[in-house]
Amino acid sequence: MDQLHLLGLDFGSTTSSAIVASARVLKNCATGRMELGQPSVVYRSELTFTPFADNRIDERSLAGYLDRWISESRVDPTAITAGGVIITGLAAQKTNVTAIESLVKQRVSQALFATADDPCLESWLAFMGSCLGLSRAHPETHFLNLDIGGGTTNLALGINGEVLRTGCLFAGARHFQFEPGTYRITALSADAARLLKDLKIDRSIGDSVPPDELRSILDFYVALIEAAVCGDRSRLDHDPFRQHEQVPFVPPPEVASPVITLSGGVGELVYAQTRGQPPPATTAFGDLGIDLAKRLLQSPVLSQHLRTHIPTNSGHATVYGLSLYGTEVSGTTLYLPDSGALPLRDLPIVAKLHMNASAGDVRLAVDLVGRAARGGCIEIDHGIADFAAVKRLGTELAAALRETRCPANRSLVLFVSQNIGKTIGSYATDWGRLPVKLIVIDELATRSARFASLGAMRDNVVPVSFYGMQ
Amino acid sequence: MKTLNPLDQIPVPRPAADEVYTADMFGRQFSFVGLKRLLGAADYDKAGDRNAGLAARDEAEQEVARSILSSLTLQHLYDHPLTDDAGNADSVMRVNYDIDRDQFRPIAPMTLGQLKDHLLNCSGDEVSRTGRAMTGVMASALAKLLDTHELIYLAKKVTCVTKARTTLGLPGTLSSRLQPNHPVDDLRGVTCLIYTGLSLGAGDALIGLNPAVDTVENVSAILSHLDSLRKRTGVPTQICVLGHVKTQLACLAAGAPVEIMFQSLAGTESTNLTEFDISVDLLDEAYRTIAERGALKDVAKQFMYFETGQGSEFTYGKHNGVDMTTTEALCYGLARRYDPFMLNNVTGFIGPETHLDNFEMIISNLQDHFMGKLLGLPMGMAPCYTLHSKITLEGQQMATELLAAAGANYYMDVCLNTDRMLAYFDTSGHDDQTLREIYGKNPAPEFLAWAIDRGIMAKSPNGRVVRGPNWGNPRIFCASDAEFQELLRATPALYGLEHAGPRPAERTTRELKLNQAVARQAIHSELRLDELARVAPFRVLTTQATDKESHLNSPGLGARLSAESTRSLRPESCDVQIAVSDGLSAEAVHHNIANLLPVLKDGLDAKNLRTGQPILVRYSRVKVAEHLAECLHAKLVVLLIGERPGGDALASRSLSAYLVYHLLDAEAQKKAAAFSNNSHIRFEYTVISNIYSGGLPPLEAGSVIAEKAGQILSHQAAGNRLEAMLKIPGKIV
Repeated sequence: MDQLHLLGLDFGSTTSSAIVASARVLKNCATGRMELGQPSVVYRSELTFTPFADNRIDERSLAGYLDRWISESRVDPTAITAGGVIITGLAAQKTNVTAIESLVKQRVSQALFATADDPCLESWLAFMGSCLGLSRAHPETHFLNLDIGGGTTNLALGINGEVLRTGCLFAGARHFQFEPGTYRITALSADAARLLKDLKIDRSIGDSVPPDELRSILDFYVALIEAAVCGDRSRLDHDPFRQHEQVPFVPPPEVASPVITLSGGVGELVYAQTRGQPPPATTAFGDLGIDLAKRLLQSPVLSQHLRTHIPTNSGHATVYGLSLYGTEVSGTTLYLPDSGALPLRDLPIVAKLHMNASAGDVRLAVDLVGRAARGGCIEIDHGIADFAAVKRLGTELAAALRETRCPANRSLVLFVSQNIGKTIGSYATDWGRLPVKLIVIDELATRSARFASLGAMRDNVVPVSFYGMQ
Repeated sequence: MKTLNPLDQIPVPRPAADEVYTADMFGRQFSFVGLKRLLGAADYDKAGDRNAGLAARDEAEQEVARSILSSLTLQHLYDHPLTDDAGNADSVMRVNYDIDRDQFRPIAPMTLGQLKDHLLNCSGDEVSRTGRAMTGVMASALAKLLDTHELIYLAKKVTCVTKARTTLGLPGTLSSRLQPNHPVDDLRGVTCLIYTGLSLGAGDALIGLNPAVDTVENVSAILSHLDSLRKRTGVPTQICVLGHVKTQLACLAAGAPVEIMFQSLAGTESTNLTEFDISVDLLDEAYRTIAERGALKDVAKQFMYFETGQGSEFTYGKHNGVDMTTTEALCYGLARRYDPFMLNNVTGFIGPETHLDNFEMIISNLQDHFMGKLLGLPMGMAPCYTLHSKITLEGQQMATELLAAAGANYYMDVCLNTDRMLAYFDTSGHDDQTLREIYGKNPAPEFLAWAIDRGIMAKSPNGRVVRGPNWGNPRIFCASDAEFQELLRATPALYGLEHAGPRPAERTTRELKLNQAVARQAIHSELRLDELARVAPFRVLTTQATDKESHLNSPGLGARLSAESTRSLRPESCDVQIAVSDGLSAEAVHHNIANLLPVLKDGLDAKNLRTGQPILVRYSRVKVAEHLAECLHAKLVVLLIGERPGGDALASRSLSAYLVYHLLDAEAQKKAAAFSNNSHIRFEYTVISNIYSGGLPPLEAGSVIAEKAGQILSHQAAGNRLEAMLKIPGKIV
C-alpha cells in the first residue's frame, strides 16, 4: 500500500516545531485492525521560538517558518494526507490564535485539523509521542506521563499503549520570563501573577526574584504536580492549587504507583541532567525551565523512575504524537457509498448512542446532526453487536432519518468501534434507498473528542483525526 | 556457471509400446501393464498413489512388483522413458536423460537389485558417481527397493557441498532456512520472526520469505528490507523472496538485491507449464541471469533454490499416470541441471489426498532425501503437515530425527512450527538446535563464527559448540525493548519466547498444541443440522463423499452432489442461490452463520434479487457450487464454506464466501473467455475469505457479500474481470 504523509505542527508557549512523518496502512494480524504502521519521521524542524509581538502571534514570522519547514521537508504539500496543528499553553491564549490555522490551511490543503487550548488532546498526544513504546514494552505496568512545557503540565495515565486518564495543570516554565542570566522579571502570565499573590510575593515586571522567593515558586509548582500525580484531591480542590488546575486528573483508585515519565521542554532538561549533562547557564532560555528541572530532580515522587524508564522524544513528544499518532484509520469495509463525499473537516461529535439506544434517543441524536450547519457525527458506543441488535439500531436510525428529514447536504457520520460499518449503514439507509448523506466509519473510537476531521479515502481506508478532547 | 546442454542435444530413446510385466507367485498371477504401473505398485502404500489408482492392491502385489523391478536392468529403464498422456517424453523427462554416459555404460547391465547391493557395499564417492549416471526414474525405482535403514544408510554416505556466503552440506554441519512468512508481509512481523530465528542460530542456509503478494513492487520491497536486516545484523547468509521466477527476474532487472533465484518445480512438463507457468527455457534464462547478474555473482558458486514435494502433479491431475515418488525424482533430475545451492523438499504440505498419515509422510521424506542425494542435490528437508491429514507433530519430529541421521543438509525454521501465511506446520528453529545437539552438528562455519561473536553460540572449554548466553533472545538485535515490542505486536501466533534447553518452554508448547488440537477438532467436527435449522429453512443435500474420511482424503468426491441430491433438484433460475457447507471446518459454519445469513438475505432482498431456498450441503468442496449452479440454473451461487484451519484456534472458525458466477449469458461468456484465455470457461469466482470474529466479522460479511453479489449480477462478471471493471468505471471487459 502507499505511503501516507502526516504533518504535525506544534505551537507552544515557548517553542514551535514541525514534523512530517510517513506511514503505511496495514492490517495488524495480531489485532485484526487496520492501522498506520511502520511510521517514520521524514522531516523534523529545528525548535524555533514561537514568534510573539505585542502579545499577539507574529503572523508574518510564522508564515516564514511554515514556508521554510515545507521547503526543508521536500514533501509536496498536496501529498500530505492528514495531520494536525496544535496550539498550546500561552500561545493558545493570544487573540489572533485563529490566524495560525488559516496560515497553515493556505499552504496544506488536505484534511488537517487545528485546535487551540485542547489540554486533554495534548496530554494524549504527549503520552503517545513519549512513552508509547515503553508502555507496550511493559504491558502490565501503568505509566503516567507528565508533559511539562512552557505553559502547562499535561498528565496522561496509560497502560499497554492505551491512555486511561488525562489532566492538565497551569504549571510550566514560561509563566515567569526573565532577562537571561538573571532573575529580573520581563513578563508574567496571568497565572503567574495569581501565584505571586497566593504566595504573598510582591514582585512585578522589572523586579528581580530573590532565591528564597524563587524556591517558594518552584516548591509550589512541584507540590502542585506531586498532588496531581498522587490524586490528592484534599489539596487540589482547595486554594491555591485549585486555581492552577485546568483539567482535573483523576486516576483510577486501583492504580497505586504508576511509573512516571517526563516529556516537554522541561522534561528534556531533566533527562539531560540525569545523563550527567551540565545544566545550561542561569535562565539561559529566559524563563523558569532550568530551575524547575533542577527542582523536579529533587522530588522523590517525580524522580523515582527517571533512570529506569526513559521515554523517547521527550522534548518533542507532543508534535511526535501529533504526526505519528494523531491520525487513525478506519476499517476497510465501512459504509461510504460516495467516496467523493470526503474529505470532511471539523465535524462536531454531537451524541453518543448505545447499541441498545431507545428510538427517542436515536431520533434526538439524528435531529442534532440535522441542526448543525454542515452535519455532524454520532458515536455508537459499545454493546452487544449481534444481528438483532444491529438491525434494530440500523432500523431505528433509518426511521429517525425519515422523520427528521435530515437535509441531504448535511453529512451524518457514525463512528463504530467494531467492524460492522457497512452493515449498520446498510440498515440505516434502508440499503441505500434513503436519500441521505450517511457515512459509517468503523473500527475507531472517538476518545471522547468533540470534533473529527475525515481525510480522503486511501487504500480503502479513511484517515480520521479527533480533537477537542473532553 | 555450469554449461547447460541444449535440450535437443540430449538423446532420449524413442518411447515404445508398454511392456507387460508378469509374475506367478504362490499360485497367484500378477500382471503390470507398463513401467508406470509397475513403479506405482512397487512403492510404499500412499494416499496419492491410491487415489490415482497406481498403488498395489495388497502387500503381496507390492512385493511382487518390487521383485520384478529388482530384476530389471538399468538399461531397461533407460530404454523405456515414461511418457506424457500424448505418448511423448516431455521436457522434464528429456532433462533427466542429461546423465554422465561414461559412468552409465558400466552400470547399464546391472539389475536394480545388483545396483542396490553394489551401492550398499561401495564408498560414498562411488555412490555419488553412480548417481550422476542415473535418471530420476532409475533413482525412484531403486528407492522403492530400500527399507528404512537402507534409505538412511545410503543417503548418509553422500555429501553435497554448496557455497554462497555460507557453505552448506559440510560434514558435521546442519543448517537451516529461516522462513519468516507473514500473512500480509508486514515488515515488522517479518523482522520479529527474523530476529527470533537468528537468535536461535537459524538462518545460515537462507533467510527466505514466501510473499503473500507476488508482485514486483512487493517482492522488491521485501528484498530490500531483508537486505537491510542482513547488513544491520551482519549475519553471513543469503536472502531470497520466494516469488515466481518471472517476478524475481523483473525485480533483478529493476535493481532489487536478488541473491538466490527460487522456483517451485514439478516432475511433469504439463504441471510446470500450466500450473507453475515455467518451462525449461525459462529456467535456463533464470539460471544464466542470476549467475551473471545476481547480487552474489562474485561470491557464490551456486545460485538456484528449488522447492519440490511429492504429489503436486497428482493434485493438479497432471501426473501422466506416474506415481508420486517417480514424479518427485523427475523434479530432481530437472533441478540437477542447474547445480542448485539448495533444494527443499516439502512432502506433506498438500494434505491427506497425497499423504494420509505419519508413516506415509515419513517414508516419502526418506525416499526423497535419498533420491535427491543420489542425484547429486543439496537436500534440505521440510517434513510438514496440514491439520486435515492424520500427520501429527510427533510424526513430523520422527521424520526429522531420521533425516538428521541420514545427513540432511538443512531444515526449515518456521517459528514455533506454525507458518503464519501458508497454514501448515514445519520444522522450527528449536527443532534445528535440538537436532544439532542430539547429532553433534553445528551451523555453517561462516555463520557459526558470527553467532559466537554475538553470544548466540559459544565454545565450551572442551571445544564443543554450545548455546551461548544470547541464544533465543531476539532483543539483542533491537536498540530497546520497546522496539522489539513494536515488532512483536505485528506478529501473530508467537506464543512465547521462553526456552527450556533447546526447546520452547512448556507453557509455550502447551499453548501451541492446544491451538492445533482445537483447529484439528474443527476439521473433524460435523455439522449440527438441528442447530442450523433454527437459522434458516435449509434444504439438506449430500455429495459423493459419504463420510468425513472420504471427504477429507478424496477432494473430488466433495465436488459433486450425490445422485440422490442431483435428482432432487430442478432448474429454478434464481438470481442467487445461497449454499452453506462444512468444507474443512464445520465449526466455522456454526460460529458465523447465525449472524451472517440474515444480513445477506436482507441485503439480497433489498436489491430485489430472487433467491432460492438456502441449501446446506455436507462434506463438500468449493467446486460443488458449479454443480449446484448447473442443476438449479442459478446465475450466482454464494457458497459459504469452512476454511482449512491453520494453527490458531480462533482462526479455525474462519469461513469463506465463494461467489460463483454462472456464465449463462453468451455475451458474458465470450468476454470471460477473452479475459481468461480459456474458451471453455463456464464460471467466474470472487472470494471473500477470513470471515470470523478476528477477521471480517460475520455481521459485516453479510452486507459485504450482498454488495458484491449485486455488483457481479449488474456487471455480469466476477473475479479479476469484475475488479478490472470496478477499478475503471465504465470499462467493459
